[in-house]
Amino acid sequence: MKSEHNDISPHNQAMHPWYDTAVATVIVSGAFSVVIFALLAANHFQRSVADAKREEQLENLKTTLRSQPDNQQLISQIRQLDLQIRQHRIRRHDFSRKGAYLLLASVVTFLVATKCAATFRKKLPEPQLQPDRRDEQFREAKYARWAVATGLVMLGFAALLLAFMPAIDFSAGGAAVASYPSDEEINKNWPSFRGPGGLGVSAYTNIPASWNGKTGEGILWKTELPLPGHNSPVVWGDRVFISGADPNNREVYCFDALSGTLLWTGAVGDPVSSGAEPIEVMEDTGYAAPTVVTDGRRVCAIFATGDIGCFDFKGNRVWIRSLGIPDSAYGYASSLAVYRNLVVVQYDQASAEDGKSKVIALDFFSGRTVWQTNRPVGGSWSSPIVAEIESKPQIITCGDPWVIAYDPANGAERWRVKCLSGDIAPSPIYAGGLILVVEPDYKLVAIRPQGRGDITDTAIAWSVEDIVPSICSPVSDGELIYLLTSDGLLCCHRLSDGTKLWEKELERNFLASPSIVGDRLYLLSEKGVMFILQVGVEYKELTRCELGEPCFASPAFGNGRIYIRATEHLYCIGK
Amino acid sequence: MARSWYITTGVALLLGLSCAASAVERFPPPEFETGYELPSPTTPAPPHDAYEYVDAAVLLAALGVSSYLVLKMRSRRAIFALTVFSLLYFGFWRKGCVCPIGAIQNVVLSISDPSYAVPVVVALFFLLPLIFTLFFGRVFCAGVCPLGAIQDLVLLRPVSVPNWLENALRLLAYVYLGGAILFAATGSAFIICQYDPFVAFFRLSGNLNILVLGSSLLLISVFIGRPYCRFLCPYGVILRQLSRLSKWKVTITPDECVHCRLCEDSCPFGAIREPTADWSLRDYVIGKKRLAFLMVLLPVLILAGGWAGSKMKNVTARMHRTVRLAERVYLEDAGQAEGTTDASSAFRATGKPTEELYAEASDIRARLERGGWLFGGFVGLVIGLQLIGLSVRRQRTDYEADRASCLACGRCFEYCPKEHARRKNSRKMV
Repeated sequence: MKSEHNDISPHNQAMHPWYDTAVATVIVSGAFSVVIFALLAANHFQRSVADAKREEQLENLKTTLRSQPDNQQLISQIRQLDLQIRQHRIRRHDFSRKGAYLLLASVVTFLVATKCAATFRKKLPEPQLQPDRRDEQFREAKYARWAVATGLVMLGFAALLLAFMPAIDFSAGGAAVASYPSDEEINKNWPSFRGPGGLGVSAYTNIPASWNGKTGEGILWKTELPLPGHNSPVVWGDRVFISGADPNNREVYCFDALSGTLLWTGAVGDPVSSGAEPIEVMEDTGYAAPTVVTDGRRVCAIFATGDIGCFDFKGNRVWIRSLGIPDSAYGYASSLAVYRNLVVVQYDQASAEDGKSKVIALDFFSGRTVWQTNRPVGGSWSSPIVAEIESKPQIITCGDPWVIAYDPANGAERWRVKCLSGDIAPSPIYAGGLILVVEPDYKLVAIRPQGRGDITDTAIAWSVEDIVPSICSPVSDGELIYLLTSDGLLCCHRLSDGTKLWEKELERNFLASPSIVGDRLYLLSEKGVMFILQVGVEYKELTRCELGEPCFASPAFGNGRIYIRATEHLYCIGK
Repeated sequence: MARSWYITTGVALLLGLSCAASAVERFPPPEFETGYELPSPTTPAPPHDAYEYVDAAVLLAALGVSSYLVLKMRSRRAIFALTVFSLLYFGFWRKGCVCPIGAIQNVVLSISDPSYAVPVVVALFFLLPLIFTLFFGRVFCAGVCPLGAIQDLVLLRPVSVPNWLENALRLLAYVYLGGAILFAATGSAFIICQYDPFVAFFRLSGNLNILVLGSSLLLISVFIGRPYCRFLCPYGVILRQLSRLSKWKVTITPDECVHCRLCEDSCPFGAIREPTADWSLRDYVIGKKRLAFLMVLLPVLILAGGWAGSKMKNVTARMHRTVRLAERVYLEDAGQAEGTTDASSAFRATGKPTEELYAEASDIRARLERGGWLFGGFVGLVIGLQLIGLSVRRQRTDYEADRASCLACGRCFEYCPKEHARRKNSRKMV
């Protein structure tokens, strides 16, 4: 490239009378611009360094506040600091805005003056004698053709590079990778509390019926659990998930279903600092009573502190958030449910008058609240289920006094039935076209889940006032219902009309809910003894299997296996 | 004072200006529950139509004035004054929008999508400079376009770009135009607006990447005259072709050229063409064969370009937000992406099946594949024609402003002794 020779400084021409003025303007405007720029840079530096420190301090205070929510002094300190930060930002922003205008004006002045100065120094060109341009014109044209041809090659190369870049094939991959598991996938696994639909019914029939924890017979593996919890295992493919917590830590565990090896541990929330007071819960409930939930891609866990976290199958934390410490008399215990990409949280607390209870749907991918609906109930310990009723999904929840169904798409209430009271712990089930709910120690109610609004007067198919459980949830094979009280009374009712067919005193205590596998009923006692009975209109015990360790959680069933959480260990039973 | 000092300081100040522009930030909302209820968001009333029509009227007036200044008055100073006005009005006052360059996309979208109606003012902004170009040459580029103006004003030490490089770089503008039409026609993106390099300066705020792009172009503009106009501007591509047909054109001399060669280096945009030399018989024969070869090559280039353009569908389709969303959702579902984006979360909140999203994305890819044929074919055609153009024998006896390349800035006028004579005569007559 050549410089324009008509811009070379003059030597014999008189200087333009305004030249000196233009140069002086250049110097003044240039110096002014440099000063403004320096001030703006300093402002920018202070904003990004000094204010960042204050923001960090604010974040630390906020973190402390999470463990001391009632510390008014801390709240006041945070507010003051937050106000200071905002005031500083506003000042700096204002400074930056005004400075930008000043800088623009001074740069424009500088440019105009520079151009004027350059124009005043300009002299006329002095073209030299030129040889014949023919060859040069041919050469220029040739080079231009080659340059365009080179451009063509480069564009072609870039196009080919882009054309063969790997891309997602939606037509092939769309079916292979869905956002949420299919019904078939769900039924093959045990994704949530009491398995698919929260029914406590296994899709497999090849489940072992004989083992002994003391001798190791039938025990495939046994792995120590790092932290305690009363939640049940969930199983997806070759992964077993469970959670554990103590007053200071909350963790999710992933075990290899084949070997029992602990694959990863995911921490949910920051550990409670030593100076902070942990929340109080009943020992029987603990800090990790709710069962985790998985969609086969991620696993999500909630704890008594209201902290909820999600991890992918490799143990990477996807998201974490706090729903606020629940005001729960015995400690929060409702397990999570899953519907497509939604994690459903039944967040019942305090009393109905307090208006704190709600059902929340969180996005499994981001943890964001997709919808939440207030509930006119007090605290409960029951877990929600998602039932496919007449080809439409409904979220069924139990609380005092309402059984309420919600539309999972938007959280809108579909229907409600007033039939419960007291501390509701048993979860509902859906069997034979009826929703079955239990009012602790008082009655079993069957509801026809059709209609809209308050359907109390029309929807109750039947109600049986009898000895019913206060903690364990019912189970049904579609014809019979089994109810197991905590002190070991097992009752069998007919699903169609609620008639009690038989009852049997098992003389053991039970906290785990009963399960049905094929034509067998599995009942796990607190002492770790599994009662295996024949499903039928008459009581028939098939066998009892000892685990040798206390058990409070309901078992999970996989293909040919049972996973049992005992107080200290996770067991896998199989052949 | 050394000119290099001016330039260095000028460059530093321009960069400083861009830093200041990037300093604008947004507040996070307060996290405390203070009892204050955030007011419901309201949709602000659209600006009054009258302002837009005023803009169109100002554009019309500016084009008229520019035509007069370029063809009749032939005054560089007056054109410079108009350039400053246009920069202030269309650039800093109206924030660089609406502009005829971006209006290409609105017009294209309105043609491809019948449900999209192009606003009258946008249509006027698109058409008026084209009509004026048909009659008066590139008077829009001369002193009305704010993008050209901001580059023109920072041109401190122009250096000429070799002809071969100029020809090669000009291809970029055609590719950019083709891409802009492709993406606008398929509803994917308005890339001209998205990547407007100077709008951040006009608004004193903008995306950092765009600020860097704009700063880089301004930095280049200090030495290379109007690089965006010459090598990138998609509207300039259209104006180039229309300018070839213009009824009146810019002439260096108001009279007959005396071949004094005073003007030959006066154009910082390399738009002055010197008289051509005669061809020998041998050159003529070789040139004829070359031309024949290129004529045969032309359809091959068009077809090859079309094929390559269609094959790029998977990449070009990513300009469409639905395809980006589908790919993101796919990767999230496959566990190949961590977390979620606002878009994927919003999609999931709708409960819409992913299969529907994937089907939409596949449909858009198919559209981009069809459009890719046209886009690639267009690029192949342009390259082929450019090669042909460089092989055709030109006959020029005087120094002339190239009809297509001349930005009508008027710098060359004052180098012509005939122009000085004309001005002298005019003064005498007055």
